[in-house]
Amino acid sequence: MVERIRREFRKRDLCYLGALLLLPLIWPDPHLHHLLVLAGIYAILALGLSLFLGYAGQISLGHAAFFGIGAYTTAILTTRYSVPTFVAFWASAATAAVIAYLIGRPILKLKGYFLALATLGFGEIFLVMVRESRSLTGGVSGIFGIPWFSLAGFSFDTYLKQYYLIWGVLLGLLLFAKNLVRSKVGRASLAVATSEDAASTVGIKVAQVKVGVFVVSAAFAGFAGSLFACVMSTASPEAFGLSLSILIVMMVIVGGMGNLYGPIVAAIFLTWLLDILGGYQEYSLPIYGVILILLLIFFPEGIGTRLGIRLMYLISYRGRKKKREEVQL
Amino acid sequence: MTPWSLIPHLLTSGITIGAIYALVALGFVTIYRASQIINFAQGEFVMLGGIITFFFLRGGGIPYPLAALLAVILVIIIGLLLQVLVVYPLRKASVLIPLMATLGASIFLSNTSGLIFGTLPKVLPPFSGERPLEIGGIPIAPQSLWVLGATFLLLITLYILSHRMLLGKAMEASSTDPLGAELVGISRNLMVLVAFGVSAGVGALAGIFITPIFYTSYNSGTLLGLKGFVAAVLGGWGKNGGAVLGGFTLGIVESMSVAFIPSGYKDAVAFVILLLILYIRPKGILGSPFIDSRRW
Amino acid sequence: MKGFRRHTIMVLSLSIILLLLWTYPISSAEKAPYKIGVNLGLTGPYAEVCKTLKMAMVMEVERINARGGVNGHPLELVIEDNGFDLGRAAANMTKFARDKEILVVVGPFEDNFQATTRAIAERDGIINIIFCPSNPMVRALKQRWSFNIAQSDILVSQKLVDLCLARGYKKVLVFPGNWPLAQSLAEYLKRFGEEKGIKVIISKETHKPGDIDMTPQLIKLKPTIEAEKVDALYASTGGPAGPIICKNMRTLGITIPVLGTHAFGFGFYIKLGGEAMEGVEFPAGKPVVPYQLDKDDTVRPMIIAFDQRMKARYKVGADQLSGHSYDVIWLLHNALERCKGKVTRAKLRDALENTKEFKGCTGVYNYSSTDHDGLSKKDLVFIRIQGQRFVRVKFPKFE
Repeated sequence: MVERIRREFRKRDLCYLGALLLLPLIWPDPHLHHLLVLAGIYAILALGLSLFLGYAGQISLGHAAFFGIGAYTTAILTTRYSVPTFVAFWASAATAAVIAYLIGRPILKLKGYFLALATLGFGEIFLVMVRESRSLTGGVSGIFGIPWFSLAGFSFDTYLKQYYLIWGVLLGLLLFAKNLVRSKVGRASLAVATSEDAASTVGIKVAQVKVGVFVVSAAFAGFAGSLFACVMSTASPEAFGLSLSILIVMMVIVGGMGNLYGPIVAAIFLTWLLDILGGYQEYSLPIYGVILILLLIFFPEGIGTRLGIRLMYLISYRGRKKKREEVQL
Repeated sequence: MTPWSLIPHLLTSGITIGAIYALVALGFVTIYRASQIINFAQGEFVMLGGIITFFFLRGGGIPYPLAALLAVILVIIIGLLLQVLVVYPLRKASVLIPLMATLGASIFLSNTSGLIFGTLPKVLPPFSGERPLEIGGIPIAPQSLWVLGATFLLLITLYILSHRMLLGKAMEASSTDPLGAELVGISRNLMVLVAFGVSAGVGALAGIFITPIFYTSYNSGTLLGLKGFVAAVLGGWGKNGGAVLGGFTLGIVESMSVAFIPSGYKDAVAFVILLLILYIRPKGILGSPFIDSRRW
Repeated sequence: MKGFRRHTIMVLSLSIILLLLWTYPISSAEKAPYKIGVNLGLTGPYAEVCKTLKMAMVMEVERINARGGVNGHPLELVIEDNGFDLGRAAANMTKFARDKEILVVVGPFEDNFQATTRAIAERDGIINIIFCPSNPMVRALKQRWSFNIAQSDILVSQKLVDLCLARGYKKVLVFPGNWPLAQSLAEYLKRFGEEKGIKVIISKETHKPGDIDMTPQLIKLKPTIEAEKVDALYASTGGPAGPIICKNMRTLGITIPVLGTHAFGFGFYIKLGGEAMEGVEFPAGKPVVPYQLDKDDTVRPMIIAFDQRMKARYKVGADQLSGHSYDVIWLLHNALERCKGKVTRAKLRDALENTKEFKGCTGVYNYSSTDHDGLSKKDLVFIRIQGQRFVRVKFPKFE
């Protein structure tokens, strides 16, 4: 039985991958490509936060800051020092990770709401620093003219090319995250999420695990930020505020905590939703608020949690019968 | 001109703004004491209080006190609806989900208010004139004194409610030990409902008191809510006194920091202080009875 | 089973919402309308501004269509909200660029988003008309697909220097906001002011659009004002921050005159600031004082007619923002009329670049392939707030 499910999952994964490869070719619509590019960037961010929120059970309302650190690192390196984007890409993740490590040690001693507030505070401090250090970051005006991402002379200058770049990066990071979750560290972090006391009694170094996961998730955000800067060709403080942090947390929750595919599904869904809502003009944000509340009420576990299995249940009678048995148990 | 000579002036302005943060923080604490939920729509109650009063006063031509009363009642109804429609269905979910749901509600409330009442900032007439009073050579707007008075009055009222009345004790009981409270016959849902009503009322009053000094626009609730939350944690999470102390600390520190560093860093100062206090004394200045790592 | 029913309910309710979203009415095409994309932050901090812009554009487009459109083609607005989000603003831009029928995109209003949308406009070859441009770095790029509406920060600063000279202010203290437009206004005033021998001190204290209290900053500025004997304080700002500064200054007992930016020319400034706004002076566009313009002013009849239309329909008079909307629509009308044959984006751009002596609400536009700003200093007037209304002031040597 276990073996069969595993095979199902493999097949499903291949289907998804095929669909992702073909999708932009079937619909050669630059707007769709652009949306998928944005969704992919948000998905990288949400994937990283999902490790921290879903697997280590810690809440962060300051992830936009790491995103911003990534974007500004790339912006400064490429425009001031003409560093190749590929190098800046790695440097962005490294900078984000180093800063996460430095602030992670003291901050991660806090729990729950206090951690949420501390990370939120970090995000605000980051914004103030960006606005005030005018010589480095261009202050409120930001930095313009960031070059396209390029690799060995090949420039990713259309949305189609960027789509493959970003979803390729996402795929790589997803595989990394999957392996991480299955590794010793991943199991330890799940244990920490369930109960820190119990985890420490079995010899898990709670503080180290938490900082480790925080650093990894910040590095993900750094990658995403670097790609964002290249796609938008600008970096300015408005783009990295609290509303983005909240959007990412929302993506993780809507996608389902403790699930790696969920945030990706949710990132696509919410990006698409926000785009559709644009046509509603003044009504767009009220409708958005209502939809978020409905999603949380009706999908408290997230839309991505056991998505495949749910679909199977809906389609097959046997599945439904089995679910009923589950419910009775 | 040394920075020190500015201190008395900055202190008075800090106290005014601190009183406002304290008013918002009191609303957060009221709900948290009864339900362990953080209501991110608290700032919207403040905004709605001010804007609905303005609407009745200017649009409906209703006398000031009556308009204020109507606004408070309306906001309380909105608060109760928020609990029934958003928080109640999520009573069994983990703590993070109601928090995000109230954020969704905050997006909805602020933008709907923009649709209904317009997006221009609003200002109410001050309660007692605009001529600044001189106290020891320092000019003070009379409305600041009203805000200060309101803060202390609400603090005393909430203190009596939560420590001297059965209702308040029942609310606290249902928060600290929901099961035990149910066993002795306290309905948890009712307590949470009452808490939302009270905090919506506190928020609306805060909005009415501060709108004459600080303009209220449809999207100013978010920032006030954030500052109020910071203040509540700074002072000692879950304590009414802590909320007021935290509010004043935040306001005064923010204001005083301007004497020594450029004001662009003002917001960062508030959060640096917050991080330091959380690091040195995680329970907040007054200490909190509510720190319970098991819930997370 | 209970769980299953719950599942069904949620699937149903969500799918109903999504269905409603899908079937969003896309108006049926008439005789090949000219489409104009509008990309504004109708929700978020600039909602009020963007709503005004939208209202006036809708009104003027309906008016043109009632007259039979441009050469028989009606105009059509395709309005999208960007919710003050960079990603959404950029996505809207590609959405418009994809639709070959959309000739031109108007907006966004926000300073920092303009750089991104301009870059997209340049790459995809679609005209982008921008309100209130400010960023000097962006302007330096000399992009051919983007056009600017409204007085640039350079013109406003030059006019303000004239105001200082006329009033005889020798020393001006600037209290700038911390956003691009406010910063560049402050810096240009320093540059142009010092050419004319006015000492301009830009304070290190700044404020943000969301600040509800400027008292701490002003307390810190007060000793400087007294020690340096500053003649006037220039509040380089916009939005509610303006009245807050004036009110806090008066409460603190700072009595020096206040100079404002063109963003002060809106009715809500007087409503919010009340008594504290008395005596504030600033340069602004002509729609602020339609009935006080010179009798021989070429744009006067147009502004008055527009003002009356606005009052009849929306019960608010014309202001600078709705004036910008008027200009956008009629500039396009003017350029479209001049296009020969089938209108393409490139043809329309060339037609726009050849706009000469176009009389709009904001002034007389003269675009060329090197100048996409189009206006001159003559299109600004001096305004003083007196007796709770805007009064035009004239100085002998300075208009």
